[in-house]
Amino acid sequence: MAQQEFIIQRYNPDTDESYEESFDVDVQPGQTLLDSLNQIKWEQDGTLSFRMSCRHAICGSCAMKVNGQSMLTCQTQVDAAVERGDPVRIGPMGNQNVVKDLVVDVTKFLQQFERAETWLEPYEDQEPPEKEYRQKVEEFDHWSHASTCIHCGACYSDCTVAAVDENFLGPAALAKAYRFVMDSRDSKREERLEYLSETQGGIWDCTRCYMCVQACPKDVLPMDAIMELRTLAIEAGHTNNHGARHHKGFAGGVRKRGRLDEMMLPVQSVGIGRLLTGQISAHKEMMDYTPGAIRLLKSRKLLTIAQRHGASAEGREQIQRIFDEVESEKHHHDVDADAFGAEFETAIGGH
Amino acid sequence: MSKYAFWPGCVARGAAPELYTSTLAVAEHLGMDLVELEAAACTGAGIISDGEPYLQDVLNARTMAMSEQMDLPLMDICSTCVGVHRLAAEKLRDVDYRIRINHHLAPEGIEYRGSADPRHLLWILLEDVGIDKINSMIKRPLEELNLGPFYGCYIVRPERTLDFDAHPTRRDSLEQLIDILGATTVTYDGMTKCCGFPILTTNKKNSLTMAGSHLDEAQSKGADALVTPCPLCHLNLDAQQPDAAKVIDRSLNLPILHVPQLMGLAMGIDPEKLGLTRHVVDTRNLLNKLGV
Repeated sequence: MAQQEFIIQRYNPDTDESYEESFDVDVQPGQTLLDSLNQIKWEQDGTLSFRMSCRHAICGSCAMKVNGQSMLTCQTQVDAAVERGDPVRIGPMGNQNVVKDLVVDVTKFLQQFERAETWLEPYEDQEPPEKEYRQKVEEFDHWSHASTCIHCGACYSDCTVAAVDENFLGPAALAKAYRFVMDSRDSKREERLEYLSETQGGIWDCTRCYMCVQACPKDVLPMDAIMELRTLAIEAGHTNNHGARHHKGFAGGVRKRGRLDEMMLPVQSVGIGRLLTGQISAHKEMMDYTPGAIRLLKSRKLLTIAQRHGASAEGREQIQRIFDEVESEKHHHDVDADAFGAEFETAIGGH
Repeated sequence: MSKYAFWPGCVARGAAPELYTSTLAVAEHLGMDLVELEAAACTGAGIISDGEPYLQDVLNARTMAMSEQMDLPLMDICSTCVGVHRLAAEKLRDVDYRIRINHHLAPEGIEYRGSADPRHLLWILLEDVGIDKINSMIKRPLEELNLGPFYGCYIVRPERTLDFDAHPTRRDSLEQLIDILGATTVTYDGMTKCCGFPILTTNKKNSLTMAGSHLDEAQSKGADALVTPCPLCHLNLDAQQPDAAKVIDRSLNLPILHVPQLMGLAMGIDPEKLGLTRHVVDTRNLLNKLGV
């Protein structure tokens, strides 16, 4: 048994007072953080508030920030936490209002699932099957990671976009939306992809920072799901948005020069079509880039951007060949996929 | 002499030329031989993979195959590059996937065998060059400086891909370097978060709010400057700093240094040669503080 110091972030809603409080706890080998919080509550301060229930990483109640990173306190041993910071600092989840001590108001987090309509929308015109809606094993294997979410909120708590934008759907709701986009029993795949790529706070607002992947206690890989949604949305033709244009402009520049084309990227992202058709919002967006360009000019950077370094000539030739090969291979796959789709439709009777 | 297959990345050869020149200057002082991969392609930075993950893997398999062919370890100088390279390396451990990808490399007469271990200059400084050698090269300890680390996402997450368990020193590599060079580390919440650059063209307000709040936090905790291993972070934190200040309505004046610039300063290399005069946020006060 060893003594361990915990520094707990406290909040008293009656006095609107925030403060840190230190507790020393006798810790057994293998003891979890949640065990320690219970020990503090039972033996030292009964007013300490936190959520908990199952103690087996299933209910998703006890996510908190430990040394700055969100995790389930029932799943984390004290020893592991100490390796990342001693004394161990425990605070409430981020990006949500604190109700008391380590308890946050999860309403905003849960509302995002409603917004993304993360439930099965079966085919209306189809007779319900006698027993159950079936899913092919190989299909399920592809997206099963996204079905293991326990709604603990650890990803949302650490999300760098949710920190600055209440409108962002967030990693958990997007991963759940991905799960239904991928489910062949769901009838709303196309509508979902359109909504997720066009709505404010949708898939293109993610920064790809990997916070959610790192925080998730169930390996849902929310960011990977968001990235695959982007690919699916582009393939489904939802390309009239900044994100898809940014991808297309970026890839086009690399195909041409082997390297990122910094000069052209802002124009492509705003949309050459939008600029040429005289859309005022597009021209305003371009104007926004002007002060930045002037600053780069002053710091003698614009010149080097203009002389920007491409891949060698031999390299460029190979890079273009690869782009073309992958592109034509994709068309072959599309033909294969169409054939598979037709077969699949026959098999399920008409969809 | 230690030799590396050197991938500078697009930004060091474009909007952040000072990263490229300072890397070469520091490598020369340390006796590192860098063989630049002139024929290699952009890593795709996670943006090509938005629509075409397979294509991005082919491009990175090609770069890693080049380093294998040269029988040299692969060195990146960009958090994003090293992260994307390592993610590709991880996917390409799957033999069947590698065979499929290698079809596109065969016409060039190369093959990716799956052995690449891409590393950032920052790690190489600590893992290959070593603390003793760095210590012996310091001519001007940076004792006067309080420095905030700013990592850039891909060099700290996901930890599995970056092999943190086998190399625990990678968790706080920047703090270690700052310490070795004699400066004091200023820690703050934002130092491992996103700078906002990836969404600068898709959601400028969110992007600059991120950059601005991290800068403001570090500045209010007493940092004289930030140091970053990521040139994309540098673009948002330095070139966009005046706009970020407006978005968060704070006054910001925090110089942002690249890792080799910091090394170079401590090794007594001329600030002009390190490109310290080519920043948007003026580095003069910082240099004055050091007496150079």
